[in-house]
Amino acid sequence: MTTNDLTGQGPSRRMVLTGMGAGLLASAAMPAVVWAQGAPIKLGFQLHRTGIGAAYGHWYERTAQAALKVVNDAGGIAGRPVEIIFEDDGTDPARGAEVVDKLVNQHGVDMVFGPLFSHVVMGSAPRAGELKVPYLVCSEGYHVASGALNRWTLQPGITDVRSQIASMAPWVAANLGKKVTMVYPDYAFGYDHRDFFTAAIAAQGGEVIAQIAIPPTETTFTRYLPQIPAETEVLYHVMVGPAVLTFVKELGEFYGTGPKPQLFGFIDSLEAVDFATPGLEFLEGTHFWEAHNRVKQADAGEFETAYRAAVGVDDNGASVSDAADVATYSHMFSVWETLFVIKAGIEASGYAGPADRQKFVEALEAMTDMPLSAEHPQGAKRFNGKTHQVFGVQNISQVQGGKLMRVHQTTIEDGLYDDAVDYTTMAF
Amino acid sequence: MKWGVTGLILLPSAGFACALPPSVILTLPTGHYIAAAAAVVAATALLGAAAHRMPELRSYEVARGVDRFPFAVTTYLAFVGFLGLVLVGVWGPTDPMHNLLTLIFWTGVWIALPLASMVLGNLWAGISPWVAPVRMVRVLLGRRGSVGLARFGHWPAVAGLFGFSWFQMVGMVPDDPRVLAQAALIYWVVVFVAAVAEGEDWLQQGEFLTVLFGMIARIAPLWRDRAGGVVRWQVGLPGAQIVRMAALSASEVAFVTLALAGLTFDGLSETFFWLALIGENPLEFTGRSAVQGVNSVGLIGVWAVTVAAVLGALRLGRALGGGFAVGPVVLSFLAIAAGYHAAHYLVMLLTAGQFTLSALNDPLFRGDAWLGLPPFYVSFGFLSVGWVVTSVYAAQFVAILGAHVLAVVLALRLAGPSRAVAHLPLTALMVGYTVLGLWLLSTARGI
Repeated sequence: MTTNDLTGQGPSRRMVLTGMGAGLLASAAMPAVVWAQGAPIKLGFQLHRTGIGAAYGHWYERTAQAALKVVNDAGGIAGRPVEIIFEDDGTDPARGAEVVDKLVNQHGVDMVFGPLFSHVVMGSAPRAGELKVPYLVCSEGYHVASGALNRWTLQPGITDVRSQIASMAPWVAANLGKKVTMVYPDYAFGYDHRDFFTAAIAAQGGEVIAQIAIPPTETTFTRYLPQIPAETEVLYHVMVGPAVLTFVKELGEFYGTGPKPQLFGFIDSLEAVDFATPGLEFLEGTHFWEAHNRVKQADAGEFETAYRAAVGVDDNGASVSDAADVATYSHMFSVWETLFVIKAGIEASGYAGPADRQKFVEALEAMTDMPLSAEHPQGAKRFNGKTHQVFGVQNISQVQGGKLMRVHQTTIEDGLYDDAVDYTTMAF
Repeated sequence: MKWGVTGLILLPSAGFACALPPSVILTLPTGHYIAAAAAVVAATALLGAAAHRMPELRSYEVARGVDRFPFAVTTYLAFVGFLGLVLVGVWGPTDPMHNLLTLIFWTGVWIALPLASMVLGNLWAGISPWVAPVRMVRVLLGRRGSVGLARFGHWPAVAGLFGFSWFQMVGMVPDDPRVLAQAALIYWVVVFVAAVAEGEDWLQQGEFLTVLFGMIARIAPLWRDRAGGVVRWQVGLPGAQIVRMAALSASEVAFVTLALAGLTFDGLSETFFWLALIGENPLEFTGRSAVQGVNSVGLIGVWAVTVAAVLGALRLGRALGGGFAVGPVVLSFLAIAAGYHAAHYLVMLLTAGQFTLSALNDPLFRGDAWLGLPPFYVSFGFLSVGWVVTSVYAAQFVAILGAHVLAVVLALRLAGPSRAVAHLPLTALMVGYTVLGLWLLSTARGI
């Protein structure tokens, strides 16, 4: 019995056999690389297993495992079986850098992917740059496209928050109203929404008439709600954290049964939360941004169906084994899609080992359109090799009978903006 | 380029917000629960002090028999199991939620075992991984003497508990299987060497898990007394064992207060209240690495406040005409330590415990079902279901309130002849502790 048998960490027998079979097939065409066939490609996953990101980490791991199974069942990557090594970073930037180091230097992974939280990405990406290892983040932060990171850091699996927010403005202005009051938490996340949306709605002829910043440690909001101007047509809310239910409840009490503005929010507030949770009734009829529709829509195709089945998510966006366990559905597809981008990048670059890491990054930078497919179930994407950032479609959903139903889907063009950086001119 | 790093982090690019789930408990009327519990604790103390009559807290022998599971055998097996887990920690999966060392230690040994011991009596005594190895090695070496460690009382265990609490609450990676395996092995060797030198009985005062679990188990209504190969099964009301204990020494008082302070700080350090106090944004917590210094100070500070509050209340009680000797009266806080432990870790047992069950069912992660369970996904969905959250809080409420009522009753018994008014300071402390405990479980929490 080998160590792998004891720990269950190694590739399964079938995985190895599949890889070997594919290797035999490939050997006729490419005899020079026969030696590499069958040796697994090792991918490091920087996982928020503990700490503030644990709720997301839980689903990111599940999505990664599901995608891994699909990849290996179909013969792996470039005929080689694939392993993912998960390392917990505690959702801590300092530990994140250590995890990148550990994955590369101790586990010998070919590349690292998976981190979500922006501050962890900001803390870890410099280390990936020093180690010259591809670092594929799933964080939706604007930090990649802003130029703050490095040649080795890319975000090919999810649109960034700047693009998400900006692409909402046309529909909001045309359908909900042009006088907007924003309620947001008083820190960087809230400022992104404040700044990007204020600019985007102005471009649509609208106006943000009040910006109400709420200290992050507040747990009751009754004293802020009277600051909402009476002429407000749209209340844009992006409150997050434990007090969200209290916020919604108090908002409902504030407006009572009288007239109220249209409400528009980001699903980040209620990601992984069942809309049937007591206190959320007030959100009936209101609108939310979703990257990926939690509730399976009537027009969902085969790719969406296959993705849900593979990850184990039901038609309402909850775990197939527990209807109360709602997935982080609007974000976790990024893990799935990133793994398939890795596959495409390895196969396009002829990557055979760590010496080819630069070729891999260059292959990714050369990518452009990614059609809606089994690999990209959230929707078509367009990758910008210069900014290392992908762009995709976004959805606006309305709460109807306690379920988020799509009422609008943006185009990729709605979310494009001018490049702020050209990473391809930077040294490796 | 230090400025560069700082500048980058300050960029308004924190695209991702927060994974703290919305909290159902913040919408529940927990204030009413807390007020009611405070009233019950206060009323119990006032009625008890006025009545001058408390329950007898007798114990009864219900069965007697041959010891069929001698500790020499069970602790040897436990030792083998311990070594196996250390190997799993070193060689097994690096993901803590897939590694049986991390899972069994943090959910089994640290939570489930003490919970079971609160009902069934001290279970740790039979699975301490030191007893058999120490006994064997001392026999092999022909060693009978000691080296005088006993004169340090329980202080080695106090040091052990402090180190452990710091590792758990402040240390960077308490879940990391490799780190946990190293720490466990080093600690095992240190204690092993000390116990071989001093004798097996030293474990009762020098090894913190033995001391802590032994104390917590004292509230159990069912327990076993062992002597000469005979086991006598006893039953009695919760606390019946405590009133028969010897008065605590100074080092034991330090131990009990540290155990209370550790649980308190573990809860406190996650609250929005604490995070605001130390200038952390709970919605964007910067991670353990950023708060190690301040949380070290916090842990020590909470311990100091706990010691001051307990000793201060007892001194005031004496000044008002009560007995209130420290050694016996602090025994009553064992009930609170047990109740806090149960309430505080209940949710962790229900969440991380699922990973443990899953890993025990399929330890090699290849689809086995060693426990006969069908494959299942770990799920935390219940934390957003109203009635479940209410039930969990109700269970925690019962644990905290029950512990404090028992503590009040014990304090009335252990305080010695006192004027009724002399009970006021300790009663006020216990009411305050009840409120604090229930508030910690119901306030907004980050991390």
